[in-house]
Amino acid sequence: MATTISKPATLVGKGIRRQEDPRLITGTAVYVDDIKMPGMHHAAIVRSPHAAARIAGINTEAALAHPGVVAVFTGADVKNLGAVPCASSLPGLRVPHHHLLAQDRVYYTGHPVAVVVATDRYVAADAASLVEVQYDPQPAVADPEKALAAGAPAVHPQWPDNTSFTFHQEGGDTGQAFRDAEIVVKQRITSQRLIPTSIETRGVVAEWRPGEKSLTMFTSTQIPHLVRTLVAGILGMPENHLRVITPEVGGGFGSKLNVYAEEALMCYIAKEIGKPVKWVESRRENFQATIHGRGHVDYYELAAKRDGTMLGLKLKLIQDLGAYHQLLTPAIPTLSVLMMPGLYKFKSISADIIGVFTNCVPTDAYRGAGRPEATHGIERMVDILAAELHMDPAEIRFKNFVGKDEFPYATTTGLFYDSGNYALPLQNAMAQVDYAGLRQEQATARAAGKLMGIGLSTYGEICAIGPSAAMPAGGWESATVKIEPSGKVTVMTGASPHGQGEETTFAQIVADELGVDIDDVMVVHGDTAVVQYGIGTFGSRGTAVGGAALFYALQELKAKIKKFGAMLLGSDNVSLVGGSCVDDATGKSVSFAEMAVAAYHAKTLPPNTQPGLVATYFWEPPNFTFPFGAHIVVTDVDRETGRISIRRYVAVDDCGKIINPLLVAGQVHGGVAQGLGQALWEEAVYDEQGQLITGELTDYALPKASFMPLIESSHTETPSPVNPLGVKGVGEAGTIGCSPAVVNSVVDALSPLGVRHIDMPLTPQKIWKLIVQSGGLS
Amino acid sequence: MKISGVYTLNVPQERAYALLQDPAILAKCMPGCEGLDRIAENQYAMRMKMVLASISGLFAGKVTIADPNPPTGYRLIVEGSGKIGFMKGDGVLMLSPAGSGATVHFEGDVQVGGTIASVGQRLLDTTSRMLIKRFFTRLAAESAQAGVERVAAD
Repeated sequence: MATTISKPATLVGKGIRRQEDPRLITGTAVYVDDIKMPGMHHAAIVRSPHAAARIAGINTEAALAHPGVVAVFTGADVKNLGAVPCASSLPGLRVPHHHLLAQDRVYYTGHPVAVVVATDRYVAADAASLVEVQYDPQPAVADPEKALAAGAPAVHPQWPDNTSFTFHQEGGDTGQAFRDAEIVVKQRITSQRLIPTSIETRGVVAEWRPGEKSLTMFTSTQIPHLVRTLVAGILGMPENHLRVITPEVGGGFGSKLNVYAEEALMCYIAKEIGKPVKWVESRRENFQATIHGRGHVDYYELAAKRDGTMLGLKLKLIQDLGAYHQLLTPAIPTLSVLMMPGLYKFKSISADIIGVFTNCVPTDAYRGAGRPEATHGIERMVDILAAELHMDPAEIRFKNFVGKDEFPYATTTGLFYDSGNYALPLQNAMAQVDYAGLRQEQATARAAGKLMGIGLSTYGEICAIGPSAAMPAGGWESATVKIEPSGKVTVMTGASPHGQGEETTFAQIVADELGVDIDDVMVVHGDTAVVQYGIGTFGSRGTAVGGAALFYALQELKAKIKKFGAMLLGSDNVSLVGGSCVDDATGKSVSFAEMAVAAYHAKTLPPNTQPGLVATYFWEPPNFTFPFGAHIVVTDVDRETGRISIRRYVAVDDCGKIINPLLVAGQVHGGVAQGLGQALWEEAVYDEQGQLITGELTDYALPKASFMPLIESSHTETPSPVNPLGVKGVGEAGTIGCSPAVVNSVVDALSPLGVRHIDMPLTPQKIWKLIVQSGGLS
Repeated sequence: MKISGVYTLNVPQERAYALLQDPAILAKCMPGCEGLDRIAENQYAMRMKMVLASISGLFAGKVTIADPNPPTGYRLIVEGSGKIGFMKGDGVLMLSPAGSGATVHFEGDVQVGGTIASVGQRLLDTTSRMLIKRFFTRLAAESAQAGVERVAAD
């Protein structure tokens, strides 16, 4: 037995490089499109070019006659299969039956109408153009406010008002707040439709094994287990005969937190043709047929005292749902309402959501999912109020923050903010930019006719989603930890990642808890035949819920190992120290490998102990976590061209305890990039007829590396009491904090011209027009 | 998308009107037209190759001449669809005398859908202008030619 004990360095908190990166950057990772199977066929989908039309007929003869084509499927074939599921429920929610393929009507451009299956991908694509669909075009409506107007075309003829649901929530007495108000500011604020645009589009490979009566589906998703349950339901097959494997996922941002028609279709087709079938979405299909994000038109009213004390907030939220509900479509705006008070002590709120059908692809979760919209709203409103009161935007925020000694804080929307020190990130960010100095510089610049802006946002978010009571289908997460007979450690997490780096952060947690080398830990995920049931990765929950489940599994396992250690050492008083079990009295120790051998050989066993070293834990979080932070953006606006230059981007984020600062930096950078995308460039545009005219990357201005400012990122660390790791989540923080800081900055720059609000994206054309209209050019 | 324009043809108004209704002439002058066959009175089946930005494809459709009012004008409806989407144009052509020639004034509305709309929208305006200009340039050439033929035939 070894007698020397070395305590390994603590890995949690260190910037360990991502374990998964070598394979990702050397082209040796396996994505869905890399999968090849003997006899594999390829599918191409015929999609509607019309936003609204009756289908008068479909002729598949020419396509079927094309050499290499083995089958063509249309709506009639899948009519009796289940519908694409919507997991959200709201009182009175109207849910249109979402067939896998269009039946007698199409509802948006890109609506799948038929599937052509061929021996080759190119043949399938060619033959798809030979499917003749006779459309009888109908009037379409693509704008949610126009859809609500009297006489608008009905997206679903059975519901001529185009309203899927209305939802009211209030807390406190807004009537009283508005009566007590000395000032009320109002503003219409939009959060435009965005296209999530992950580098890897969606893709599915499905294989039917007739002997086993089982299907294996490879799909690029954030939620393999939920996809298994729901696709099995659509197909009417036992879910334990469906295996879902999620190999590498090249981004999702919420767009793969879904169950799509194509997943069920490929499973159905594989079984029908008795061959494996692959479908990989093209970029143009991705733009038209994968969910979009945001799509809000919000009407805000904010009541306050003249000293800047905010009393009440009213919101009318018009949510552009698109033509159908995808998995969580109607739930997303309810998250906005929960988050609408931001970090401030509102005594009352009142919100009305109107969920509106349009002839567009459905909206659903996109990085932030309802919270960027809410944060943008409240942070704009605070700035508008500050401007009206001639108060500094920082001062008004400090005045209204929930105090650091008020946690847990009950909001008027029914949440309990877990922990926080909201003033600190703002103080740090202000010190970093020399806020007072900047304001002086701005005054000088203005006197010289220059347009310089300073914008703040102090954001909060709902993360670690979430307690099951608040979720449509479970909000817990699972982990299994196995010490193999050789002493190596295998982790199986239900939180299937899609770029979050859990193979690294989870290995860090394991290495610290068990005292093993990080290279001895393997993190397995994304295979429903291997990994116990899990929920998935979204809503900044990977570490805060999945990591917490792992932590508890590790505690159970440690208790068991100690029993084997105690047995081998013949002592009742043992401790686990750095990968060994140590006799407290003698200092003698046994290694992990020795305990593992004892547990698996099981020649003798401790009392009431099973052989093996495996622990599984399903952890139910008692609450969400609430990260927060402050972003300051300094901009210069060119009077002649409307071009916006970001001079400084300072982000001070508090995501609780940090497991790996390198990965947190990555999340902040990526989040800010997508926030800047919304603030400055991106917009999914449908024309009056419901044609998506930003149909590819040439027309949809996704930020490129060269567009990015230097992000000066730092952190405060307020541990969360909700989970044992003290973590809060950081996946969406950058996106949520970014857009209001940018818009506040540009509005501040243009405020000498009388500008008080601008809707995103702040394109140079829009800014230049504003400058011209306000006489700012002369 | 709204389109409009004014072109001058160097033939008298009656002759210009006749040319603008002559399927053989139209087929020759319409850029990309690969066939225009009469299917009914004032109605023709059309095949046309469309090239727009990075996309191209064959369109099959219908050309309809409505409300003919010789020699002052008619309504022209063009509908077509193909692999790359669909288009529908509806416009009015008005002719008036201009010296010894004729002026053709047109205005109308064009709708496109499918890939042409999602990928080609930003080039649609300039491409349409170019195609219309090309049509009238060819028509002017044809009318000069036709004018000569007519003189010879007389």
